[in-house]
Amino acid sequence: MYRTVAQLDSQMQSLAMWFPGYFTRIRLPEASVQGRPVHALRLRAGGGPERRGVLLVGGTHARELMNPDAIIELAVDLFVSYATNRDLVYGGKTWPASDVKLILEALDIWLVPCANPDGRVHVMTVDGMWRKNRATNSGTSCLGVDLNRNADFLWGVTQGQTSCSPCSDVYAGPSAFSEPETRNVKHLLDTHRIVTFADVHSYSELILWPWGHAPTQTTDPKKNFTKLPTPKCQPIQVAGYQEYLSPRDLQRFQTVGGRIRDAITAVRGRTYTSEASIGLYPTTGTWSDYVYSRHIASSSLGKTYGFTFETGPWMGTAEESFHPADPRPVIRDAKSGMVALLQQSICAIELIGAQFFRAQAEVKALQQVRDKLLSTTDAGRDWIALFERVEGPAVLAMLGDRELLSDTAELVKRASALSRDDATKLTDDEVDAGLAVVRRLRSRLEDPGLRKDLRAIETQLEALRGTPMSKAVERLMATPPGEKAPARSGAKGKAGARG
Amino acid sequence: MARQSKDADAVGRPSGVPPEGERFEATVHPGEREAALARVADLDLDRVPDPQGGVRVVVNADDLAELVRRGYEVRVVRTVPIAPVDPALVASDEEAERWLEDRIAGIPREEER
Repeated sequence: MYRTVAQLDSQMQSLAMWFPGYFTRIRLPEASVQGRPVHALRLRAGGGPERRGVLLVGGTHARELMNPDAIIELAVDLFVSYATNRDLVYGGKTWPASDVKLILEALDIWLVPCANPDGRVHVMTVDGMWRKNRATNSGTSCLGVDLNRNADFLWGVTQGQTSCSPCSDVYAGPSAFSEPETRNVKHLLDTHRIVTFADVHSYSELILWPWGHAPTQTTDPKKNFTKLPTPKCQPIQVAGYQEYLSPRDLQRFQTVGGRIRDAITAVRGRTYTSEASIGLYPTTGTWSDYVYSRHIASSSLGKTYGFTFETGPWMGTAEESFHPADPRPVIRDAKSGMVALLQQSICAIELIGAQFFRAQAEVKALQQVRDKLLSTTDAGRDWIALFERVEGPAVLAMLGDRELLSDTAELVKRASALSRDDATKLTDDEVDAGLAVVRRLRSRLEDPGLRKDLRAIETQLEALRGTPMSKAVERLMATPPGEKAPARSGAKGKAGARG
Repeated sequence: MARQSKDADAVGRPSGVPPEGERFEATVHPGEREAALARVADLDLDRVPDPQGGVRVVVNADDLAELVRRGYEVRVVRTVPIAPVDPALVASDEEAERWLEDRIAGIPREEER
């Protein structure tokens, strides 16, 4: 059963009214083209300043009915799990209550269950296959703009499934962000620290990430969309064009996409594919490309990893695939995938350093080391992947051990100070303190893979005694986890060759 | 299909716009002239995901004719009526309220604190 727009709004209103410590309902700045209010819901547990934000949007395409329901249900599921300390169970996938607790205490979860209310009303009252919003288009009786072609990313470049014809179902609109529904989502991106974004669509069981307009390349940063000629209403004019994506971000999209896929498969065995958006078909002006492109187009903006979910399998007909008679199995799959996305959006160092100990500058210094140095070599990216595997379980372990948490915070601060000082060497005491934390963590984790990861950290730490931080980072850039550190004299050359 | 709106807020239909009528779900193939499937995008059709990775569209009769005129082989799979989603699939207000009440049962609300 699918909720009406009024029912979605009513449930958001009830949640915010009954549980104001968790839910905040916000009316977005603009009404839809037919005058309906559009709301966002913020979910978090605990107080404090604004946190890393995750924005989940549903109902962009009206006929893809199940996703607004999935998003509102996810909000309720997370809240109930937190409030009752019960695990979240979706078929064969169990999300421990401790995981949900961490998600709600570490993030601001922003939800726009129904970005296109006019379209949903139209699907439920007139045409079940309606896709766009209900905008009138000058000079034609054809209605509607495709809200997932209207964002300011190569807007109006008619590559693949993007059109300048108002009668087309993939009409990009008269200008970028011409539609109030898209401006509403942009408003959230502009006014909150959204680090991860997902636009939840149907169907075909895909987890998509940039790019949608061209194949990806990771070798030539100069070849990027900001320098691409973009004649309106024509496809890309550069033959064989490939868009740059940094190796680090490609790795991140692949890693997070893979974890979403695995979390969905665990529910009832459905196998989603995680791939670049162009794998479905070429597009421009889409949400996931736009949100990720913002930090490239404007260096003052933070990075947002943008995903598109395509929930649900082929059901034999297009209509049944867009709105199956029983959407519950697909909704369970989607919710598990969204929980995985939330979990992957937590940054342990930021949580420990900034949230618990107000060490914002130290956290930024370490993030610089990650983004400017480690991310530039294969071995460095392997270390980043290792830390991203370990950080969630590690934080959970620390939250149950205040002493461990405090010791880790001290390490974060010390490592940050060292990262800003090329000359000072890692002392035996500092290395021993780091080893003690890692060993205590290892004793608390049962997963053999994670224990192996922590052993790899121990091995590297042992080898760093008496080493300046700059050299230590060089070693990590040259030596992947599990490999013996090279002789000191060779480290720099190898890192340089890879970088 | 955008070009077949029968919404009450639609303005008068000028000549040249197809009359309201049937739509078709169809798959598109290169045909004997081996027309390039990538060029189907030029027709601005409503393309929907195809389970085999092919080209599947939801189109009206004029679009079907245009695809054939351009040399594509078009296999009509079924008609797609212009009708609201089955009302039986839409929750009643009572059902929606009950769902939420059931889920949050036992959790103290602000008004009860």
